[in-house]
Amino acid sequence: MTTLAQSFSPNSQAAIADKVERAEIDASARIPVLLFFGSSIFWLLIGSLLALIAAFKMNIPWLLDSEAWLTFGRVRPAHLNTVIYGWASAAGIGVGLWLQARLCRVPIVHSSLLIVAGIFWNIGVLVGTLGILAGDSRSIEWLEFPGYATPILFVSYAFIGIWGVIMFRYRRPGHVYVSQWYLLAAFLWFPWLYATVNILLIWQPILGSAQGAVNWWYAHNVLGLWFTPIGLASAYYMIPKVIGRPIHSYYLSILGFWSLALFYSWNGMHHLIGGPFPAWMISASVVASVMMFIPVITVAINHHMTMRGNFDGLKWSPTLRFTVFGAICYTAVSFQGSTMAIPSLNTLTHFTHYTIGHSHLGLYGFFSMIMFGAMYYIVPRLVGWEWPSAGLIRWHFWLAAIGIVLMFASLTLGGIIQGLALYDPAVNFMNSLFLASPFLWVRGVSGLLMTAAHVIFAVHFVMMLLHLGAQRAQPTLFAQPIPREETAAA
Amino acid sequence: MSQDPNIPESEEFREAELSSDMNVAKVHGSIMREQADPRDGYEPVSLWLITFALGLVFWAGMYLVSNSGGFRADVFNSNLVAWDGAGVAVDKGPPDPMVVGKRVFTQYCVVCHQTTGLGVKGQFPPLVASEWVLGEDWHGENHLVKIVLQGLQGPIVVKGENYNNAMAPWGAVLKDDQIAAVLTYIRNSWGNAAPPVSPEFVAKIREESASRTEAWTQKDLQAIPAVRVEASTPPAAEPAGEPAPAPAPAG
Amino acid sequence: MNRLPLLFLGIFLTFASAWAGLVVYPYLTLGRLQPITDQETGDILPPPLSGLADAGQKVYAANGCLYCHSQQVRPAYLSTDIAKGLGPRRTVARDYIRSRPVFLGTMRTGPDLTNVGLRYAAEWQHRHLYEPAEVTKGSIMPAFRYLYKKRKIQGAPSADAIQGLVGPYAPGPGEEVVPTEEAKALVAYLLSLRRDYALPEAPEEQTP
Repeated sequence: MTTLAQSFSPNSQAAIADKVERAEIDASARIPVLLFFGSSIFWLLIGSLLALIAAFKMNIPWLLDSEAWLTFGRVRPAHLNTVIYGWASAAGIGVGLWLQARLCRVPIVHSSLLIVAGIFWNIGVLVGTLGILAGDSRSIEWLEFPGYATPILFVSYAFIGIWGVIMFRYRRPGHVYVSQWYLLAAFLWFPWLYATVNILLIWQPILGSAQGAVNWWYAHNVLGLWFTPIGLASAYYMIPKVIGRPIHSYYLSILGFWSLALFYSWNGMHHLIGGPFPAWMISASVVASVMMFIPVITVAINHHMTMRGNFDGLKWSPTLRFTVFGAICYTAVSFQGSTMAIPSLNTLTHFTHYTIGHSHLGLYGFFSMIMFGAMYYIVPRLVGWEWPSAGLIRWHFWLAAIGIVLMFASLTLGGIIQGLALYDPAVNFMNSLFLASPFLWVRGVSGLLMTAAHVIFAVHFVMMLLHLGAQRAQPTLFAQPIPREETAAA
Repeated sequence: MSQDPNIPESEEFREAELSSDMNVAKVHGSIMREQADPRDGYEPVSLWLITFALGLVFWAGMYLVSNSGGFRADVFNSNLVAWDGAGVAVDKGPPDPMVVGKRVFTQYCVVCHQTTGLGVKGQFPPLVASEWVLGEDWHGENHLVKIVLQGLQGPIVVKGENYNNAMAPWGAVLKDDQIAAVLTYIRNSWGNAAPPVSPEFVAKIREESASRTEAWTQKDLQAIPAVRVEASTPPAAEPAGEPAPAPAPAG
Repeated sequence: MNRLPLLFLGIFLTFASAWAGLVVYPYLTLGRLQPITDQETGDILPPPLSGLADAGQKVYAANGCLYCHSQQVRPAYLSTDIAKGLGPRRTVARDYIRSRPVFLGTMRTGPDLTNVGLRYAAEWQHRHLYEPAEVTKGSIMPAFRYLYKKRKIQGAPSADAIQGLVGPYAPGPGEEVVPTEEAKALVAYLLSLRRDYALPEAPEEQTP
């Protein structure tokens, strides 16, 4: 095993051996991970287009309203499912597999099966999305894909999950890094979630509002126990990796991981406060949502203290910039979520655009931005080429960042105003619509910015695959990094 | 290098491979410049974080205990610590018409007449201090019941204001005791005070107007003599059978 | 935390706790709720749906109505749902045992529909589905014209024809708009949405 000192003498035999090993791992991961990345970017474009249609229909109801397959009630779930399963999950799988392979120091063997799984994942998403537009949506939130699509996804995932867990099983002995725990957990939790919800809501449906409980246990845990761990695993890897510093505290990592595992899964009912459920279930979720302050503050401290003294990295590293932006959004969205779950506040925000602002801050501001950062790091190592244009990365970042901030602000303010109007019995219902309408316009515009960012990213990605642009010896950065006096960590 | 991840690599084996195959050439520039993989620092957890966490745990316990309805599956309101299980089977005596009436009113009537009973100017007539509700002038409780049973349409005058809308019939939806309760409720709310309407009275009027399929108009109702409910004190002198002159309806 | 068995156990147990509480427990207690019989009237509560209304649920699901409309009435101590007239009492688990799936919804871009069957008759629902912006000024509800057929009147006008349409897609002279089977089923389902009955676990709301 390479010692610390050896790894920082770049030309030592052991250090070179490390690099060769990484090259081998990257080579083994190339096709499966690029397949997942390529698929995810494709679905990101589709999902963005569907989002724009749905968003502008809320301001222009007669837009595209003559065809059944384009009605808002179908386009909106089509958007949700393509971005969750097509973009976010595929990106998360790609990043997760690469991270796990690198950290466990195990090449991906028999990758052809993973490639088949990836192709079937795409088929599942395609069939499911077309099914929703055709009118076969199940109208179960986050699980709208019709019954002929979900088994494809499940079987495809089975292969992916097995790889994720097997890599951990055959990892190099020694210290296990925090990202590995998060990834192992995510790969184990997702199939349990998916299987349970399919059985209890689709194959053998349970009766009554219990469906709502299982539904939102599933949906919230996809966020918190599938996407969040992958996002955090990436942040925990990329931040110290890029700046060359250790993570601040192993103990905080432990506290953060286990408190997330314990509390997050109880949150689901906070989507249904005031709903037809026994009081104790709602209260348990309210409590668990507030307890989430513990893992979130823990992770925030850990990341912040790691970054302290190294914030200049944000000036030159695209990966760091996207990742830190995402990590900040994680803290913000979680704080918001904990407060939103308090019943006296929830009575105003429930059923409003405020919730949508929150969900986009989480899935886009946190998860998607971290995925972008990870991809900017990983893709060069898979294709043997550097990103052709720092300018395109810059455009991607700013359009996406301004887009999500604008989206969050407009939906939050609009949601509060809508909520206040809905709360007052003396106010006509239609006023809640009229007052929120200008904010929805701003949301639509923000969506245009984000879609532009995605198109730029997609073009850039294709350029990477085709080795377009000048061949570079140096990484594509926003600016020249300020050289350090020493490379050894404290 | 071995393809089997089960076999751990020894340093010597790898270094031998390295020099023999010039594998370094395969390693891309990005990997050459990469930092070492992330590792852990070992700063302790700060005391204030632990204190904060414990404080939250304490709050969590208190909140759960006081907002969980005794952890019962049939208690839905968290502000009930325990519930005595009174259900449909328990006979609580005759239901209070004001309570039932308020429930009916909230469910069916507030959409138009509003929770305040003030209606919407120009659209839905008010019930507060309304002669139609209190049985003043030519109005009787039989008219009121007929309106609820068969509906009302066309130009009407309420408290000197003109209205011209259509009220849906509720005879098929509401039972006699519900109609009696809601009429009692509106006659005794928002400052109104008038004798209650009984389910028997409603049943009698329902039978009388069983053949009526269309909604009533003001003119039709005025043609029918007013019938008042019995009160503990004799009502004021009733008008003669002649209907009062109908004011000219506005457009 | 370097050992797989320990990690695995922790990952399993933390997840299993919420799975037990939020999935298994509702399955055992709420997921097998049965209708009750009202002691006074002998009614089965909640009332079963007619075949047409049951089919209407599928139309409701296929067209994603729940993304704008919720179907739950929150209690008075926690919201103003009852004061606003959404229903006489909060909804409880048993209210939903006829729904497949359960359309609780999480958005009120449009009004809550728990008791919509009490507010509007079939004729209004058809008009509203066909041209919502004409029926409610400023409404952003999409038009569901594809659930209807505009056709030439053959012989006598159909009994199903929708009356009172005024918008740009209203029938011209000699034309009529009739609902498809899907539209009829959907409206039957909407009319079935009413909770004007009491349940043992749903106490009378005493609004202040």
